[in-house]
Amino acid sequence: MTEPAPADTAGLVDPLGRPSAAAPRGAAVEVAGLSWRPYGRARPVLHGLDLTVAAGERVLLAGPSGSGKSTLLRALAGLLLTADSGELDGEVTLDGESEGRAGAVGLVLQDPGAGVVASSIGRDVAFGLENVGVARDAMPARVAAALAEVGLDLPPDSSPSTLSGGEAQRLALAGALVMEPRLLLLDEPTAMLDADTAAGVRAVVADVVARRGLTLVVVEHRLTGWLDLVDRLVVLDGDGTIVADGAPHDVLAEHASSLVRQGIWVPGAPEPQPLRVALTPMPRAAAGVLAPGAPVVAGTDLGVERRSRRLGSTSRSTTAVAGADLAVEAGRLTALTGPSGAGKSTLMAAVGGLLAPTTGRVDVAAPITPVSGGQGDCPRPPHEWPSVDLARVVAWVPQRAATAVVGRTVRDDVLTTARALGLSGADAETRADELLATLGLARLADTDPRHLSGGEQRRLAVASAIAHGPALVLADEPTVGQDRLTWSAVMGTLEAARREGAGVLVTTHDPGVVDRADQELALRRPSQPAVDPEPERRPLLARVGPLALLVAALCVLPLPALLGSWRQALVVLAVEVTLGAVGLLAPGPGRRPEGRLRGVLARLAPAVVAVVGVAWSAWLLGGRDLEIAAGAALRVLCLIVPSAFVVGFIDPERLGDHLAQRVHLPARPVVAATAALQRLQSFDDLWTELMTTRRVRGIRADRGLVRRGTEAVAVTGGLLVGALGQAAGLALAMDARGFAGAHRRSWAGPAPWRLPDSLAVLGGLTIVGAALVARALVG
Amino acid sequence: MSTTITASGPLTRWRTIDLLTCAFLGVAFGVAYWAWGLAYEAPATAVSAGFPPLSALFAWPWLVAGIVGMLVIRRPGAAVFTELLAAIVSALIGTQWGLTTLVSGLVQGLGVELGFALFGYAVYSWAPLLIGGFLGGAFEAVYEWYSYWTDWGFGYKIAYLFLLGGSVAIFGSLLAVGLTKLLANAGALAAFPPGQEARERAAV
Repeated sequence: MTEPAPADTAGLVDPLGRPSAAAPRGAAVEVAGLSWRPYGRARPVLHGLDLTVAAGERVLLAGPSGSGKSTLLRALAGLLLTADSGELDGEVTLDGESEGRAGAVGLVLQDPGAGVVASSIGRDVAFGLENVGVARDAMPARVAAALAEVGLDLPPDSSPSTLSGGEAQRLALAGALVMEPRLLLLDEPTAMLDADTAAGVRAVVADVVARRGLTLVVVEHRLTGWLDLVDRLVVLDGDGTIVADGAPHDVLAEHASSLVRQGIWVPGAPEPQPLRVALTPMPRAAAGVLAPGAPVVAGTDLGVERRSRRLGSTSRSTTAVAGADLAVEAGRLTALTGPSGAGKSTLMAAVGGLLAPTTGRVDVAAPITPVSGGQGDCPRPPHEWPSVDLARVVAWVPQRAATAVVGRTVRDDVLTTARALGLSGADAETRADELLATLGLARLADTDPRHLSGGEQRRLAVASAIAHGPALVLADEPTVGQDRLTWSAVMGTLEAARREGAGVLVTTHDPGVVDRADQELALRRPSQPAVDPEPERRPLLARVGPLALLVAALCVLPLPALLGSWRQALVVLAVEVTLGAVGLLAPGPGRRPEGRLRGVLARLAPAVVAVVGVAWSAWLLGGRDLEIAAGAALRVLCLIVPSAFVVGFIDPERLGDHLAQRVHLPARPVVAATAALQRLQSFDDLWTELMTTRRVRGIRADRGLVRRGTEAVAVTGGLLVGALGQAAGLALAMDARGFAGAHRRSWAGPAPWRLPDSLAVLGGLTIVGAALVARALVG
Repeated sequence: MSTTITASGPLTRWRTIDLLTCAFLGVAFGVAYWAWGLAYEAPATAVSAGFPPLSALFAWPWLVAGIVGMLVIRRPGAAVFTELLAAIVSALIGTQWGLTTLVSGLVQGLGVELGFALFGYAVYSWAPLLIGGFLGGAFEAVYEWYSYWTDWGFGYKIAYLFLLGGSVAIFGSLLAVGLTKLLANAGALAAFPPGQEARERAAV
C-alpha cells in the first residue's frame, strides 16, 4: 500500500463530503523541521523532526513515555495549539497543502468517551457533518453507513454513556470516518481496553483502512497486535528523536532489546517480572494483624443500584452489581476480571466501604474493625465508618489517578494518610522515600503532584495507598497504560503489600496481573431490570418544545410592576397553578407517568425559603403588617411557580437546537454550552470521587462547619481542574472534526414550532393578561 | 503580574478551547451556585432582621463565575457567556428563583463585562476588577429592586446597591483572582494567558 498520491483529485471528496465515484485515497504526509516547546518547559518536546509518510502507508509510532509520540500525532492533526500554548516551528503538509479541509485528518483519542459531544450516538456521529454544513436530510444515511462500517449495530438514539469502552472507541472512529478522512490518527486507541475488545477494535481499523486505502498513524506502546497491521515501525527515543524506522520485523530484529530496555511492550520478549520491593515495616499498621489466608473482608450477596440523572429527563436506575459474593484474604492477591460494564469497580468500592451497597452485607474481620465499627452482634458496615478509621484499614487506587492527588508535593501526598492517622515518624518517612524510589518518583519528590504525567500520577496513587500499611488494598486497573518498567514497579509494590499481610484486590484486564493473582473472580454483566413494554403517556408539557417553555416561564417578568396587592397576586397565582396542572395532564393511551407532582414540589421546596425571606423583610419594613408581607410573598411565588412546572421538561440539547435555529444565537457558543451540559452527570461523579478519595485517605471532614466549608472549597477547586481537563480533551476531539471553522453549520436536530408551542406561549401570556385583569378588577 | 499576556490572535476570534472552557466553567459554577442558593437563605434572612440590605453580603458569590471566565479567557463576551451559562445550569437543576435566574445571570455578566470593556480588554488588574465587580453587583441590585424589593424605600435600595456592588468588587474579585491562580498553578490553564504567565514565572 505505498502507491504514490493520485495526481488528479477526482478520487477525493469535496468539502461538503458528497460521496464521489472513486474510493477516497490516503494522503501523503510530510513533516519538515517540526519543533515544539510548550511554554514553561526548558527543553522542546520535539526538535527539528522530519518524517515522510507515503499515501496509504500504515505507520506504528512507538517510544517510551514522554518521547513526544502524542505530540507528533497532534501536530499531524494540526491541533498542537488547540489545548496548549508554546513555540511551534516547522511545517506539516498533507499532499503538499498545509491547510486541509475539515475532517481530512481523523483522530481517535485514548480515553473512550472523551470526545463525545451529543446525547445520542447518531447525533454524535453527525457532529462533523454539521460542522461542514451538510444538509440535514443527507445526514441519517451517512451516519448509518459510518455506524455500520465500524460494526456498531445499536439504534442511533442510544445514549453514548451506556457504551462499553470498545463500543465508545468504535463510535469515535465512526465520527472520524463520516468526514471521509484521508489520514487516520489513533492515539493509543486500545490502551484502556481488555485483550479481546482491543482485538475487535483493531480488526475494525484494519478493515476500514484497507477498504478506504487510508494513510494510518497509530501510537501504541503495546506493539503486539498492531505489528501485522502496519507497513512501517517508527521509534522515537526519550528526546523526541527518531532512532529507528523501517519494516516492523526488521526494526524489531535490530532494536528489540533496546526497545525492551525503554519499556516498550515488544512481542516475543519475556514477560516483565515485578520488582522485588523491600519496605520498612510500618509500626502499628493494620496490615499483618491477621494471619495469612484469614478473610480481611467478606461481601455477601451484594447488590448496587445506580441512578443516573440528566437534565430535562427523568432519572434512570441501572443495576451495577447483583448478588455478588467476594472474600478478600490477608496476604493474598485477588483479581476481579470481566468485561467492561460487569461492575468490577463498583463491587470493589462496595466491599471496601467506599459506597453503600443497596442490598447484602459487608463484614470486616473483628481484629481490624475500629471501635466506631461496633463490636459483637451489632457491627457497623465500613461505609458508615469515619474517615480516619476507614483509612487505617482500607486504601484505594482509583482508575482516574488525577483525582487521587491530595498533597502539595509528591512526598507530602505519600505521607498524608500516615499523618492523618498519627503514624508520622522516622519509619513513615523512610518508607515513603523507599516507595518513591521504587516507583521512579524520587526526583519528583518536591514537585506539585498535579504537574505529573498521567502515568506518574498513577504510580503516585499506588505509593500513597501503600504508605501507611493498610489491611485492604483496592487497586482499580493499576497497570493500565504503564510501560514495561513501570509495570514492574507497580506490581512489585502491590506484591510488597501482599507480603506484609494486606489483602490486595485488583480489577484488571491484564493477563500478566491475573497470572500473579492467588485467586480470580470473573464477573458477568448483571441483567438489567426489565423495561415496561407499555410506554408512558407523555404529559402535555413534554410535547412542548424547549424554547416555548422558556418563553412561557419568562412571561412572568412584567408581574412585579403589575401586581399591587396580595389579592391580585393570589388571582395570578391561581391562574398559574391551574395552567401548570393542565400542563401536567397526560391524556392518551399508555401507562400513567409517575412523579409529575413530586418533581414540581421538589423544585418549589427551595422557593419556599426564598419566599419566607422576602415576606419577613417586607413584614419588618411594612410596620409588621400581614397584608404587606403576604403581598410580597405571593408576588415572589408568582415569579417562581411557572418555572417549577416547566424546568423538568427542558432538554438542554433541544434547547440548543432551538436557540441556534430559531433565535439565531451564534452557533459555536451554543454547541459548546450544550456539549458541556451533557457532562453534568460526570461532574456529579467527579465530585463523589474527590470526596471518596479524601475519605479513604483519612482527611475527610466528618464534622464541623468550618472544616466542611474549607473542604468544599478545596474539592470545588479539584472539580474545576477536572472540568478544565475535560474541556481540553473535548476541544481536541471537536476541532479534529472541523469545529474550529464551523461558523456556518447545519443542525442534525430539527427545531420545529408546532401547535403545543404556540399554546404554551399563549399560556404564558394568559398569566400576564390575568395580572392586568386582576389589577383592573381586584383591589 | 508584571506583564499582562492577552489572548492569542484577534481578541474576538474565539478558539474552540476558549468556548469549551467558558462552558465547562459555567456548568461547574452553575452547580456551585445551586448549592450556594440552598445555603444562602438562612444567614441572609438572619441579617435581614437587623438591616435588610445586609443580605447583599451573602449575594456576591453569584458573580464569581463571570469574573473567573473573563480572567481566564480574556476575550470580549467571556463574562456574559460564563455567567449566563452558570445561571441556566443552576435554574435547570432548580433554584428558588426558577428561570428568572437567567435575567440575573445576564445583567451580572453584562456589568462585569463592562468593567473590562472600559479598558479595551487589555488590562486584567485591580482597576477593571473593581469597576466590573461593582457594576455587576449594581446591575443585579437594580433588577432585584424591581423584582423582589418593591416594598423597600429609596434609602434601603441605595444601601443595597452599594453593599452588593462593593462586596462583589472586593470579595468577588478576591475569590475570582484566587481561583484563577489556583487553576493556573494546577496546570489547568496551559492554553490561556494566566497559565502562560504562571508557567513563564516558574521557568525564570
